[in-house]
Amino acid sequence: MTTVHRYGKRPAQHRHRRGRRQFWQFMICGTVFVALVAAKLYSPRHAATLRRAISGAMDRNMDVQEVFASVGRTFAGENAPAEGLREVWNAVFLPSGGGTETGRTVTETLSGLISGNASETLSGDAAEPPAGDVPEIAPQTDSEPPETLTRHQWTETFGNSTAFASLSEPWPETSGAAVIPEASVDDARPEGQASFLYTGQNLPQNVGMEQVLLNFDYQSPVHGEMTSGFGYRKHPVDGVERFHYGVDIAAETGTDIVCFADGVVTATGESTSFGRYCTVEHVGGFTTLYAHCDRVTATSGATVHKGDKLAEVGATGQATGPHLHFALQREGVYLNPVYYLAG
Amino acid sequence: MARVRVKGSPAFYILLVWFAAVNGLRPLLTVLSAALVHECGHFAALRRCGARVTGFRLGVCGAVLDSNCSRLSYADELFCVLAGAGANLLAAVLCAAAGNPYPAFTGANLILCAFNLLPVRPLDGGRALELLLSWAAGPAAGEYAARWVSAAGALALASGLAYVMHGSGGSLWLLPAMFGLLAVSVRECAGRA
Repeated sequence: MTTVHRYGKRPAQHRHRRGRRQFWQFMICGTVFVALVAAKLYSPRHAATLRRAISGAMDRNMDVQEVFASVGRTFAGENAPAEGLREVWNAVFLPSGGGTETGRTVTETLSGLISGNASETLSGDAAEPPAGDVPEIAPQTDSEPPETLTRHQWTETFGNSTAFASLSEPWPETSGAAVIPEASVDDARPEGQASFLYTGQNLPQNVGMEQVLLNFDYQSPVHGEMTSGFGYRKHPVDGVERFHYGVDIAAETGTDIVCFADGVVTATGESTSFGRYCTVEHVGGFTTLYAHCDRVTATSGATVHKGDKLAEVGATGQATGPHLHFALQREGVYLNPVYYLAG
Repeated sequence: MARVRVKGSPAFYILLVWFAAVNGLRPLLTVLSAALVHECGHFAALRRCGARVTGFRLGVCGAVLDSNCSRLSYADELFCVLAGAGANLLAAVLCAAAGNPYPAFTGANLILCAFNLLPVRPLDGGRALELLLSWAAGPAAGEYAARWVSAAGALALASGLAYVMHGSGGSLWLLPAMFGLLAVSVRECAGRA
């Protein structure tokens, strides 16, 4: 019987070609390995950025099972062809939870965070809010509800325009002890802080002063001195008392800002008020904001874990010194982050 | 019955684990079951035509049945080549006719059927095109036409996969297939396929 060899080649030729192929495979793998080691040694920052970008891309995935099921349903006549095509498209490009990844787009995330007609404005890439919009928002009194939900997608996501106005923190004039505003404490504040007894009447509508129990592990995003707390304070620019929706933690420029808890990066961007910022959504409807960063290393859509580096401390946006503006929100209600910064 | 040698490349097993890790076990089982139906179609057709199946290779670009088809006529070889896609189509029709209890299985069979019928060698569609043209206009014409259609098709398909990866922001388990298709395109252009 005639022996049939693969590719119809003689065994010696086949071995030669195989050896050559294996040599080139080895060379390519070796080159990639050496290049990665060299990159890590000579530019650890870029190597880390690259690693995170690749990790993020590895996490994101189409919903393969839904693609198959949509085609199957359409073929069986359960779906109209147009509906099937739309389902396949959504499963590939806008998966809602296929595989091991949430797969949600920034737009979907933002749509889930807001309500009403605000979602209608969330078109395009919400990860990059136009910076020019922010300063044009006129300051409001703190007790007023948001004037409108359609002025700016970031405004809609992270509070009303007062939040923007309150972000132009003084530096270093307000340096001092941390402020922990409580309903029953109106004078436990550093010099320059407004005196307020927090009640349901004078609190902004989207603020909760209670300490909520977090059912997940968390840690302080940066170590440094807290220079401005959560609550009413005298605005450093115009002297008007406004609500500060987060805490300011001073640190050297370039200090790592790490993730508060496990979650998904829902937006990264830059605005004239926040500077470079990113937001992370956690389980239980919690969202955190990291603003005034010198550099944001996380990528939008990436899955991040507690302690993962997100950004570096800076003084971008309306800031007079390097610090992190850290805000915590649960389902649209701002919480005092100071309770959770000891870790 | 002659012994069939089954061989899986390490890259295939890595891709398998990767796919399961990012997509879960259910999509993996769905794909594997559809692939099994496909290969069973080829195997049954080859046996029906009297060809001997010598091996079954699993690689990152799919499964390949090694067989001695030299004694088969154009019609028989065409039948064997298209039998895999035909088996997938048959499985999808039967599943849908039975009330479609597993729509994902139906869909996977249809997608595998359509994918394998793309005119790109070594996919079934590319081989079928070559056989048809060779049958109609001679082996040289068939080889020439199949080469350039395959090169263009592989390039288009690789671009499509790149678009899907870019659009979905990930799905990197498609990368090996994309690079495989690019390699096919280059090899076809160089006349080395």
